[in-house]
Amino acid sequence: MRLGFDPEDEAFRDELRVFVEQHAPPEARRGRDWIGDDDDTDADGIMIIPAWAREWQATLFDHGWMIPGYPPELGGRNATPTETLVYLEELARMGVPRSVHFGGYAIVGPSLLEFGNDDQKAMAPAAIRGDTVWCVGMSEPNAGSDLASLSTRAVEDGDSFIVNGQKVWTSYAMVASKCFCYVRTDVDVPPHKGISVLIIDLDTPGLEVRPLRHISGRAEFAEVFLTDVVVPRSNLVGDLNSGWRITMGSLAHERGALWVEGVMAAQRGVEDLVALARERGVDGDAVVRRRIAELTCRVLSLKAMGYKGFASFAQGSSAPEHSFMKLANSELRQAIFECGMDLQGVDLATLDPDAASEGARWQKSWMTSLAGTIGGGTSEIQRNVIATRVLGLPKG
Amino acid sequence: MVDMDFRLSTEQALLVETAILLLTRECPSSLVRATASGDGGPAADLFERHLRDWCALGAEPLVDLALFLIEAGAAVAPGPFLATAGLFTPLLHAVGHELAAPASTGAILGTVALPASDPDPERRRAVDLDLVDLVAVVVDEPGRSGIALVETTALESRVVETFDLARSTHAFALPDELDVFAADPAAIEVAIDRMTVAVAAEMVGVARWCVETGVEYAKQRVQFGKPIGAFQAVQHKLVDAALAYEQAAAAVAYAAMAVDADDRERRRAVHVAKASAGQAARGAAKVAMQVLAGVGFTFEHDLHLRLRRAYGDDVLLGAASWHLDRLADLLFTPVLP
Repeated sequence: MRLGFDPEDEAFRDELRVFVEQHAPPEARRGRDWIGDDDDTDADGIMIIPAWAREWQATLFDHGWMIPGYPPELGGRNATPTETLVYLEELARMGVPRSVHFGGYAIVGPSLLEFGNDDQKAMAPAAIRGDTVWCVGMSEPNAGSDLASLSTRAVEDGDSFIVNGQKVWTSYAMVASKCFCYVRTDVDVPPHKGISVLIIDLDTPGLEVRPLRHISGRAEFAEVFLTDVVVPRSNLVGDLNSGWRITMGSLAHERGALWVEGVMAAQRGVEDLVALARERGVDGDAVVRRRIAELTCRVLSLKAMGYKGFASFAQGSSAPEHSFMKLANSELRQAIFECGMDLQGVDLATLDPDAASEGARWQKSWMTSLAGTIGGGTSEIQRNVIATRVLGLPKG
Repeated sequence: MVDMDFRLSTEQALLVETAILLLTRECPSSLVRATASGDGGPAADLFERHLRDWCALGAEPLVDLALFLIEAGAAVAPGPFLATAGLFTPLLHAVGHELAAPASTGAILGTVALPASDPDPERRRAVDLDLVDLVAVVVDEPGRSGIALVETTALESRVVETFDLARSTHAFALPDELDVFAADPAAIEVAIDRMTVAVAAEMVGVARWCVETGVEYAKQRVQFGKPIGAFQAVQHKLVDAALAYEQAAAAVAYAAMAVDADDRERRRAVHVAKASAGQAARGAAKVAMQVLAGVGFTFEHDLHLRLRRAYGDDVLLGAASWHLDRLADLLFTPVLP
């Protein structure tokens, strides 16, 4: 055990820093990770993809900095796992996002490469570069945590499928051109054995996208209604009824390192809490100090846990530590933002940017962060999964 | 916090493997229970035959000592090992005292005087005082800084009964005149950090045992027609305890590396390690108690031995809450330009 990376990995970090210095537009240099920033929405609060974000993602791809673990034709540079960790760590440290929509590069691109036919594989580079914006149609009104119960129905009809149903909480649907859509293709088998994935163009007749505002008033997800939507059979991804397996697909290259971004953001969060306590004149309050120390302790031990897990991951072993990361980080970030609200006393629930600290960003970030323990598997589902898969407890 | 590599070297992996084999075979709970009931013979025998040789770890990198102490903590190993190799030797080694060498071979055994709750600042406490030759007292007064070694036979001490039945605590008054061995306060501070991580490592072992025991029991125990581990209320408690354990284990490993490297993050890492290990051990012991329920609450079951050590270790060299407040002091220290 030792502290620090090899000189080669540090050289990799330096190369990335120089690249970002030279190429990143000012909008990408947020410097911190306030979630719920307003600059990615239009005047009505509906999500847009700003021009700078499109250009930045394409620039990263063209220089092999989009997904470093991939080969150059997929926006990478065949980076090692450690280099990928250094990459994610450094981007997070600088507060520079890769993209403002993760569906294409993190889910659809890798899934097409793993499960798609040759034509579909050929769609992956554009998904990763951000030229094609994707949404992923998973959740439905009656299929949230119980995803396998989804009921959007696709019926074979000659060389096509006819699709009817509804998706909800579909991130980026209002800015996407394609949907990676989970549909039911067999109702006579156990639920998870009758699911398939179809690529559906969002301008297909019968498909309607209605932006859905979340609690802060912004809309970055949507409802998607499908009425007799005709989808060519060639848009089936993988085998018929093999969709459940595809839900597990994501960036295997980065699985051991994806936690870094969240932990680095949390670390900046607790550092900002110290500054906020000073600004609000409560830095001498014993209760405030203990609470910030408690949060800092959680962040730093979580960070150590992430690196400890990465050591196993880089050696090719499983890393049980990483199973806990999403659960721990999402709960921790809510607690950090809420602490920032409490430090503001009478302004804890103030949104007036002249009264609340830092333009009410603590309040806005906290409200948006409530999604963290819901989306991508609720904290309760996370605990169920860890209990059975990591601790080996029997299924409930 | 700097970047870090937690991979164990081949030698470190072997150290862990050997420690597990040794303690599983030579330190069964019957030995811990004998100590707890006042019969120190088996523990003394364990030390003579095995643990004396391991005292060399007291002068080795903290990472290695911590790896061993995690296993000792899981086994609730009694005897003078923690006091000598985890507390006394690191202190003597750090200040360059000549007795560091015999202490690291186990030829001389020692412990370290800790602050007592008494209002009288001259009163101190020490663990396992009855098992060692010398007690080291840290002296930090205007004009003189260093350590003083006092023979335990020269002290008038009384037993302070605590939760931890397998480790004694004594209270005593310091002699009027101390023969102070001068030392740099900075060196003493590093030594205290080292001791603190050593105690935290024991608690990591305690937490791990409690999580593992709770999980195993939840798989076996059937109520309402199924293993209780199939119930979400039980699963979620165990997951939270397991998470706290994983965080503490990583924080302790990181702090050990930071102390060994004299990294600038050292002090912060030590506070995080001791606080998270204390919380994890106490928390895991309570979760295991709740999962094992009526069985865990019996004296016959070994769980209470860990519950007792978790609380006894937490308070050694500062409880979690104390370390959080010191961490806050560091966080709120004005940054000099």
